[in-house]
Amino acid sequence: MSSIVMDHLLSWMIAVPFLGIAVLVFVQDREWIRRTALAATLLDFGLSLMLWAGFDVGNQGMQFVERVPWMPTFNIQYAVGVDGISLPLVVLTTLLCPLCVLCSWRSIKTRVRAFMMLILLVEGAMIVVFTALDLFLFFMLWEITVIPMYFLIILWGGPNRIAAGVKFVLYSLTGSLLLLVAILGLYLEGGRTFDVLALADHTYSSQAQFWMFLAFFLAFAIKMPMLPFHTWLPDAHSEAPTAGSVILAGVLLKMGGYGFLRFCLPVFPEASAQFAPLILWLSVAAILYGGYMALAQSDLKKLVAYSSISHMGFVTLGIFVFNNQGIQGAVLQMFNHGVTTGALFLAVGQLYDRTHSRSIHDYGGLHTTMPRFVVLLCLFSVASFGLPGTCNFIGEFLVLVGTSSDSFVKVLLSMGGIVLAAAYMLWTLQRVAFGRSRTAFAARLPDLNWRETATMIPLVVMVFWIGLYPGPFLNVMDASVSHLVQQATGTLGLEVFQRYLGP
Amino acid sequence: MSLYALIPLLPLVAFLTLALGGRWWGGASHKVAIPAIGLSFGLSVGAFVEVLNHGPISVPLYRLIQSGNLIVDLGLYVDQLTALLLLLVTLVSSVVHVYASRYMIGDPRYNRFFAVTSLFTFAMLMLVMSRNLLMLYVFWEVMGLCSYLLIAHWAERPAACSAATKAFLVNAVADVGFGLGVILTFVTFGTLDIPQILNQASSASDQTVNLLGWAGVDLHVQTVTLITLCLFTGAMGKSAQIPFHVWLPFAMEAPTPVSALIHAATMVNAGPFLLARLSPLIVLSPVAMTIIAVIGATTAVFAGVVSLTQSDVKKILAYSTISHIGFMIMTCGVGAFVVAIFHLLAHGFLKGFLFLSTGNALQVVHAHGHPVSDSGRAGRAPRLLVAGALTLACLPPFVIFSGPYESLWTVQQFASAKAAFWVIGLITVFCTGMYLFRGVLSLFQQELAVGVPGGEGPVLTRPRLFSSSHFIGVIVGAIVMSGVLVVLWTWFAQFLTPALTRPASSLAASSPTTGPFLGGSGQVLWFAVPLVVALSGWGFAYWLHVNPQRSPWRRSEWGKTLYVLFLNKVYVDEIYDVYVVQPTLRLAGWLWKTVDLGGIDRVVTSIGSTSVALARWLWHVVDVKGIDRVVVGSGGQTMSVATWLWRMIDLRHVEKNVERLGDRVGATSHPLRVEPRMLQHHLLVIVFWLITAIGLFYWFVA
Repeated sequence: MSSIVMDHLLSWMIAVPFLGIAVLVFVQDREWIRRTALAATLLDFGLSLMLWAGFDVGNQGMQFVERVPWMPTFNIQYAVGVDGISLPLVVLTTLLCPLCVLCSWRSIKTRVRAFMMLILLVEGAMIVVFTALDLFLFFMLWEITVIPMYFLIILWGGPNRIAAGVKFVLYSLTGSLLLLVAILGLYLEGGRTFDVLALADHTYSSQAQFWMFLAFFLAFAIKMPMLPFHTWLPDAHSEAPTAGSVILAGVLLKMGGYGFLRFCLPVFPEASAQFAPLILWLSVAAILYGGYMALAQSDLKKLVAYSSISHMGFVTLGIFVFNNQGIQGAVLQMFNHGVTTGALFLAVGQLYDRTHSRSIHDYGGLHTTMPRFVVLLCLFSVASFGLPGTCNFIGEFLVLVGTSSDSFVKVLLSMGGIVLAAAYMLWTLQRVAFGRSRTAFAARLPDLNWRETATMIPLVVMVFWIGLYPGPFLNVMDASVSHLVQQATGTLGLEVFQRYLGP
Repeated sequence: MSLYALIPLLPLVAFLTLALGGRWWGGASHKVAIPAIGLSFGLSVGAFVEVLNHGPISVPLYRLIQSGNLIVDLGLYVDQLTALLLLLVTLVSSVVHVYASRYMIGDPRYNRFFAVTSLFTFAMLMLVMSRNLLMLYVFWEVMGLCSYLLIAHWAERPAACSAATKAFLVNAVADVGFGLGVILTFVTFGTLDIPQILNQASSASDQTVNLLGWAGVDLHVQTVTLITLCLFTGAMGKSAQIPFHVWLPFAMEAPTPVSALIHAATMVNAGPFLLARLSPLIVLSPVAMTIIAVIGATTAVFAGVVSLTQSDVKKILAYSTISHIGFMIMTCGVGAFVVAIFHLLAHGFLKGFLFLSTGNALQVVHAHGHPVSDSGRAGRAPRLLVAGALTLACLPPFVIFSGPYESLWTVQQFASAKAAFWVIGLITVFCTGMYLFRGVLSLFQQELAVGVPGGEGPVLTRPRLFSSSHFIGVIVGAIVMSGVLVVLWTWFAQFLTPALTRPASSLAASSPTTGPFLGGSGQVLWFAVPLVVALSGWGFAYWLHVNPQRSPWRRSEWGKTLYVLFLNKVYVDEIYDVYVVQPTLRLAGWLWKTVDLGGIDRVVTSIGSTSVALARWLWHVVDVKGIDRVVVGSGGQTMSVATWLWRMIDLRHVEKNVERLGDRVGATSHPLRVEPRMLQHHLLVIVFWLITAIGLFYWFVA
């Protein structure tokens, strides 16, 4: 029994959400629909813990690999596997999905079954995206994630949901088109195979690298989102239901960062190095710009959404400095961002459930009526701007140490982004949690119930675990990241990448 | 050895117990916090004795980060410097906790208060015990968070909340420097372990960095200078040095025990501590030393003058702290680290006392009109409290001043900046005398107001300050204490020196034991001059109080202007608000409206609308006018061919079928003229882009 599970662990993890959807078809009672969905997501989380436990830290390559020919004519396989870069993201996906089900327990009252099915669908699809070793499989499931998100937004979203949904789909499709073009190009250039590992070993001409990198980069940059391609994010986030925002911010954005790490760096090292200066400056700009944008918001969800852009700037900054600290920091930062921003969206959702208002000006003085909520909100706010001792600090510090080998000016500017983050987070806290309540209803809100508290507790644990003892997380990714750095910089001299400010 | 890990651990356990227990602890919260911190005081005494006998203690903890060549091992390190600070922090903190257990009775967030003060103490203890620079940075920031939570303790008051945010943000700006310093240190030395850094420090003294290399300009700066200045920026924030001093006076929104904690035991002491901790590194850079000394001196004088104009006793005390810390920073800047630490300890203990007794007095004043429970002693109790406060408030000038005396003394041996620091030091001492007199006086007046309920209110008559026997007692106490200090000093300097020097570095200038300490010919002079200056400051303030019409700022316009200027703290808060805070917020709003909504979003929307327009045009031109016409045309042609065939071949036969065939042809061509459905429209857009993209791609690549 256990060997059946262990031998095909990844396939089981992928299958569980889809089986859950199948089971949901036959469940009639609403309460049982919720319970079934929770059970499926929890089961998947349990499996991901088994995956973590069985993961060999010292091995730099893919583990738990399963390969089955799918369309042999085109060399398309069902091939999945995890390494140290994808494992944290898989665990993050399975960690957040049960919380999404929990936070929608009472707030979703219509079409419960469809809602839960979409959550499970997006979970299954994302696990495949993070584990796929076949480009075609990757692309297919990459596309599939858009569909449930679109419906989550337009069916259960806020007042402006249709426009937000269309914007989200249009941006995503543009990215997907570029991705498709690039994948086809890679297929033709790389010896008619979709195997990611084989494609990474192949060497491409400079010109082909340039154009394919550009297409991949734009696709991932839109997903990320990087600076000029970000305007879908605030709309989609603020209109989506809480669970949608959590999935969107927590996991979907990471597909972009994961794409950079899995495809751009190992397959196109030369083009990556060529584009790196531009991308690094874009990242620094995104950090500062996202911070300024967040400072200007009076809508809580938009504020958190813009802060995501700022945080994602740290991720791209870390990825494109091509060294261990930078990339480990970036992967860790993706995980951390999923935890803290996911938690902030959960918190805003809990307020929204009570008042149906997202405006900062409608709250104030919550510390007297909702002390438990305010404690958690404070914790996640300070974690979000990277207070030392919480998870984001470790990620940001590693990224900044990595960046310091490139230039100190960028480090200094990025730290300015952290100050901006502290400013908008604390200012928001001051206006929402402290002082006196500005509206009559804000003075009468009930505190979190046990279910809402239980939704937050796992994230609290993660915040402190990574913040105080990040060793296990860094160990898991160490070997794979070293391998990746070697892939990205090995063929070229180190001097290309190391442009020190001084000696 | 690892027993000493309990020193910070006990307050942490107290914090966790209180935080997780929540309201369950209620009014019994102090019963958790006080024993924990008291015990860690006991252990600190043990650690002190251990260090005294056997030298530094090191307790390794665990590995925090290992990534490439970046390895961060956490560990505790107790040397002479740390041992002294441990005593200060745990003693003041436990006294404050005992005091607060009475002071905070009836507070709705009693448990939260003790939880956060325990965490605050824990953070400060970890900070002084850190073996690793990153660990120090972590607790540096955690302390900032604690101060934020404590300043916002009475969160119903908007002033308290904005003061808390202000305190944190000012520190956050300064800590950018600290963070950059940590990264620079790692890049320079390849390690963040403090003893290792200090041992390697001298080897790095020749390294330079080209600051403007990216701009193509040569501006070579010593690496050590850069590191020191970056770290010092962080210290300026925590220790409220100009221009980061604005948060400390506002921090008075916190409950008084918190002020005692911030001013005496934790927070502001972090700056001088950091400088002393890294002294072997700092002395390598004369430029950085000069900047540190200048900033310290400016702060000392500025805060001294400002506090002269304040009337609120807590504000006076806040600026007095800024002034004193500035003095310590200045002494660090001239290389007299031992003196700075001595000053820090003396100031810490006495500021703690001052705040607590002021808190008592103020509480009595505020309780005026409030029913006092034991009415029999109602008249005496406030008087006694204020008298105690007064005595304690009279004592500190003398003891605190002995710190500056000593420092001035050592400045003598630091030949470069002798005169300037003498002048600045004496101005500061003079100001200190004046404002402490005024602070005590304000309490004294309030005491009168309380003492005569329903009387004339605050009486601005000749105070009884000098008429009472307090004055004589104070003088005697000061003389005795100074004598003790002189004896203690030699021992103190010898004890502390090993912590501040490294065998690898030469520290002759900053090692006071090498100087002619006792028996030096100038000793009496160096001791007498500042004492006289301080007393004359005290006397001048008294004289001004008695003859208010003679005060310089009432006699001339110029004086008035100056007085108003300093009364408003030189408008620093307003300047920050107008030139930093408001522009930032306006820029954020402008960027959002103009760039995000007006720029990027508009471009994206216009791409959408142009593609729809393009699709519509394509549909119109290609579909309707082109393909449709061809199809319809071919339909028509088919029909004419059929007609022709029919006419030619089947002319006579199936006449009845002719009409049906004609109908069919019509039917096939008819749907093409129907208005396009949305789906078709969208598909067309996508197909168009797909074809263009693939076409472009192959044109470029293949």
